[in-house]
Amino acid sequence: MTTDLAPLLLEDTPIGPTAGGLYRRQNVYTGLAAGIFLGFVAWLVAHALWNSSNWGTDMVVTVTMVGWVIGFNLGVGTFNAPLRWMLGHDQTYDDELYAAGVGQGKKRYYKFCTDHKVVGTQYLVLVVVLFAIGGTLAMMMRTQLISPHSSFLSPNSYNAIVSIHGMCMIIATIIMVTGPFTNFVMPIMIGAKDMAFPRLNAMSFWVVVSAIPPLLATFVLGGVDAGWTTYAPLSVQAPPAMDAFSITMIVFVISVTVSGVNTIVTIFTMRAKGMTLGRLPIFTWASLVGAALSIYAMPALLIAFTSMITDRVVGTSFFVAGQGGTGWLWENAFWIFGHPEVYIILIPPVGAMLEVASTFARKPLFGYKVTVAGFVAISALSIMVWAHHMFTTGWAPELAGPFMVTTEIISIPTGIIFLCLIGTLWKGRIWTRLPMYFVYLFLWNFIIGGVTGIYLSDTPADEYFHGDMFVTAHFHYTLLGGAMIAATAGLCYWFPKITGKMLNERIGKTAFWMIAVGIQVTYFGMFWEGFEGMPRRVAFYDPIFQHANDMATGGAYLLMLGWIVLLYAGINSLRQGPDAPANPWHSKTLEWKVPTPVPLANFLVDPVVTSDPYGYGEPEPVGPLVMPAPDPDRELVPNLSSDNPLVRGDD
Amino acid sequence: MSSDHPVVDEPPVLPQGDSIVAGRPFFSRPVGKIFIIWFLMTAVGVLIGIFAPHHLMPTFLSHEGTDVWRTMVLFTILAAPVAAVVYAVAAYSLIGWRHRGNQDDPPEDGPPLRGNSTVTAVWLATSSVLVLVLLAWGLTVYSAEEVSHPGTLQVDVTGQQWLWTFTYPGTGVETRSLVLPINRPVQFNVTSVDVTHGFWPAALGVQVDANPGVTTVIRATPDKLGNFTVRCSQLCGLYHSFMYAPGSVVTSAGFSRWLRSEGASTTTGQATALVKKQ
Amino acid sequence: MAITTDPHDQGRVVEAVAGHHETREQRHFKEHLAVWLFISGDAVFLLMELFYWFYLRALNTDGMWRGVACSKANPCTDGLGNPITHEIAKSTPWYTVSIAVLVVVAAAVIWGVERSAQRQSKRSVISGGAGIGLAVLVAAIVVQCYQFGVLPFTTIDGTYASTFEFFMGSTLAHLFLLTFIVTGLWARAGRGRYDGGHWYQVRIIRIFSVWLATSTCILAIVMIAFS
Repeated sequence: MTTDLAPLLLEDTPIGPTAGGLYRRQNVYTGLAAGIFLGFVAWLVAHALWNSSNWGTDMVVTVTMVGWVIGFNLGVGTFNAPLRWMLGHDQTYDDELYAAGVGQGKKRYYKFCTDHKVVGTQYLVLVVVLFAIGGTLAMMMRTQLISPHSSFLSPNSYNAIVSIHGMCMIIATIIMVTGPFTNFVMPIMIGAKDMAFPRLNAMSFWVVVSAIPPLLATFVLGGVDAGWTTYAPLSVQAPPAMDAFSITMIVFVISVTVSGVNTIVTIFTMRAKGMTLGRLPIFTWASLVGAALSIYAMPALLIAFTSMITDRVVGTSFFVAGQGGTGWLWENAFWIFGHPEVYIILIPPVGAMLEVASTFARKPLFGYKVTVAGFVAISALSIMVWAHHMFTTGWAPELAGPFMVTTEIISIPTGIIFLCLIGTLWKGRIWTRLPMYFVYLFLWNFIIGGVTGIYLSDTPADEYFHGDMFVTAHFHYTLLGGAMIAATAGLCYWFPKITGKMLNERIGKTAFWMIAVGIQVTYFGMFWEGFEGMPRRVAFYDPIFQHANDMATGGAYLLMLGWIVLLYAGINSLRQGPDAPANPWHSKTLEWKVPTPVPLANFLVDPVVTSDPYGYGEPEPVGPLVMPAPDPDRELVPNLSSDNPLVRGDD
Repeated sequence: MSSDHPVVDEPPVLPQGDSIVAGRPFFSRPVGKIFIIWFLMTAVGVLIGIFAPHHLMPTFLSHEGTDVWRTMVLFTILAAPVAAVVYAVAAYSLIGWRHRGNQDDPPEDGPPLRGNSTVTAVWLATSSVLVLVLLAWGLTVYSAEEVSHPGTLQVDVTGQQWLWTFTYPGTGVETRSLVLPINRPVQFNVTSVDVTHGFWPAALGVQVDANPGVTTVIRATPDKLGNFTVRCSQLCGLYHSFMYAPGSVVTSAGFSRWLRSEGASTTTGQATALVKKQ
Repeated sequence: MAITTDPHDQGRVVEAVAGHHETREQRHFKEHLAVWLFISGDAVFLLMELFYWFYLRALNTDGMWRGVACSKANPCTDGLGNPITHEIAKSTPWYTVSIAVLVVVAAAVIWGVERSAQRQSKRSVISGGAGIGLAVLVAAIVVQCYQFGVLPFTTIDGTYASTFEFFMGSTLAHLFLLTFIVTGLWARAGRGRYDGGHWYQVRIIRIFSVWLATSTCILAIVMIAFS
């Protein structure tokens, strides 16, 4: 970019001293204060009104948590724009600039900021925090299981830790790619200035932040003792922690649904000129498919947890057998969400990993259309397989056959994705930098995870394995060994663009080997436990399972150390790493064509795309994109929001 | 969606020295080397399939359990070549196609292989056939389990927090241990009095949840003598870890003796038949 | 190109998106797509509600859907083994029907508001129409809340009762959401935001109102016809 354009960079645009209004005074701390305050007021009111009623404690806890969520979001500024809209006012242009972070420096990361790059970075920090919490809980579990009858944790603590480890990780893995990378990278990748609805984007982030304290509060509200799947009727009888847990999930649903709508609308309406759907990078397709699937799956989760709250708080009997309810209803509602959910977790990271594979094999993605078809087929099929989680419930033995069929069929499009991956590696020029290491690890892990999934999809085999550690090992191989490793490949790949620093590869590769070996030892140990017949979610076990547990626990410690070393690599690189060039990987997707750090408006002029980003080995056409010469008389602003008639001068 | 490149059927651009014309031995070409790796990996996988389930899983005491073991062996043997293809290509890519040299700069671009419809079609066809085979196997095994046989022994199983109770209808016997006669089909009628539990006699190779308010059914035919443990496979609260019961498969005579020792009354049909056998 | 008249902007010429002017059509398309995506999510929620109703009704665990089969001769038992010998009374359909009718009327009124805005009617017409729509929605909320108080059963009386009241609660929650939106519509109409043919936002609200009327009617039919 020439220096002529520098004064026109949006960050330097002067804005009025009162721009932003209330936003100027709001940040995460005011959110915390308002949340605690309103939560306390809600508690007082609920306590006065309902404490003596039948379900008093549950009502009080539920209302308190709702008070916290509303208060936090009021305090951080999520509702400012909708409330102003409702009163008939709108934000001014200066307000919108302020909301996009202009003039605030690093402080904007602590505020409601509509710049998708800020939101992406905020999500990245949140995801790291969630993994740290979930990982600590996992290590507590593995420490308990060092010996068959350890006194490290009580049964109640262990059950509570199991449940929150699970849900914390599920939340973290659902947002681990769609939060940081779909937000930060995808709009730049398609040549857009921001997401379609930047305010909704910021809202999704702060709403999910407000969902986390209730999840952690469960530990002091008696603990959720029913696993992350919180099967009824055990969960209906659980301590008041279950109400807080339910509020977390309902709020999380809102965040993910809104974010999913935003992603879909962005991809369909904000692409740069020439970026046809056929030229869309595979990561964008993956984000699109994941978002579409979440619009389907999240409402199912919503009804599950709202009906859980009504069962606990107002006495409905959805899950209480004596009054006509059934645990099977919970299981159905939950897994109608739960199976698509694992593909919501898996598909975006796989998309990211395929970008890495293409870049580091210096080859086009093999079978682009087939890969996209594969993603779509996986998602469509994932809607029809949920009852494979219920093979042994006895709910409908005649349906076991059909669900076995749909579940095993899903392995076909999944296999196609693997064909595309190895086709991309075929005859490539493999550049073994750190992101590529994680691609290979994904490949190794996901084959194991996928194959063991096929074992479980066979109903007779599942009648042996359901509810034992084999299942746990299977889904850790796919979710951690597969999805999370693919996400880590994406993290190492996009680290230079997001942070402006190169990630220290020496430390990173050390971490890689610890993680890689740690995964195999831990989860093969768990497969061993499962083969032998050790049930899941047990704090104490038969001594015959001792050796297998030794292996799993030992591996877990190594795995934990590996992640810590990787975190250290990240922090160390942020502090002292070399500055990153704009395109360190010589990749062809659009996000690498903008400077690092990325300007507020991403592109100072709109790109016009003339080819897809996989032209490795092919002669350059006119150039992968054409940048029209900038017109210095035009002021360059981002697409801040579509709701401000004052900015647009029309509706 | 449109694509700007003629997509799939261009002949691939081959780098130097990699001719498919006769003259270069198979095993010194990448395809040949990949084949060697694939073969070795498949062999390892097949060996794992043959030996690991047997060594790692408990001794199965029933027909259904043996089916589980057979399924594991078959599925592993069938999975091995498929997994090996992926692993072999990946492994070779790091041996034969890796960029060695300055890692700071990217290597030159590879050939622009955007797809290959033959390979894709073969891959799809093979995976579909494999899935059909697995399905045929699984559905056959499963439907055999669903058939009820004459002379089936009925056992009512009741789960509660945190123990199992077994009742033999008609005999008045109610115990905490599950004793079964060998070679006789048994049908478990399972329910719970509180939350959902998982009735899991692992060595019999079957399980079904115990749900409050309904009775679920699972069948098995023990065909080996021995002891086993019934565990709970569905998290059911505080002492889920301790919810297990001993079980054993005994001879018919031993079973009748055991029933009598548990105080079986001989007034009803099933009981008479059971108890009278010497 | 758009010119802002906000005094803070001092008459600067501002493009909504640099070099890539986002036309009204593009913005409308975004909003249109977004509301339909939200509606599809809500449709999944509706389908799940119907699943709840019909699955529980078919399963009839312990005979406690409405306890129809329970009698002195053939008592059902609750979870503690106590006998239940009565059938749960059905709710009268009138409240359910009137709520559905009110929501349909509200949707029709909002459609009328959209028409007025498209035809660039006077501000008072648009704003008045929005006010009427708001009043109808508030009436629906009042009736729905009142129905909670006059039901012949409570939530603990079995799964028909539970699902019926859940549907009522869901309707109430959706009504609150739409009322919030229509309050905004009324306030903004009063300030002239929809003068001069700027009606697209009203269309978005109308689409959502029509959806809500549809889903309320579907729930009402199920609640009345499939007890």
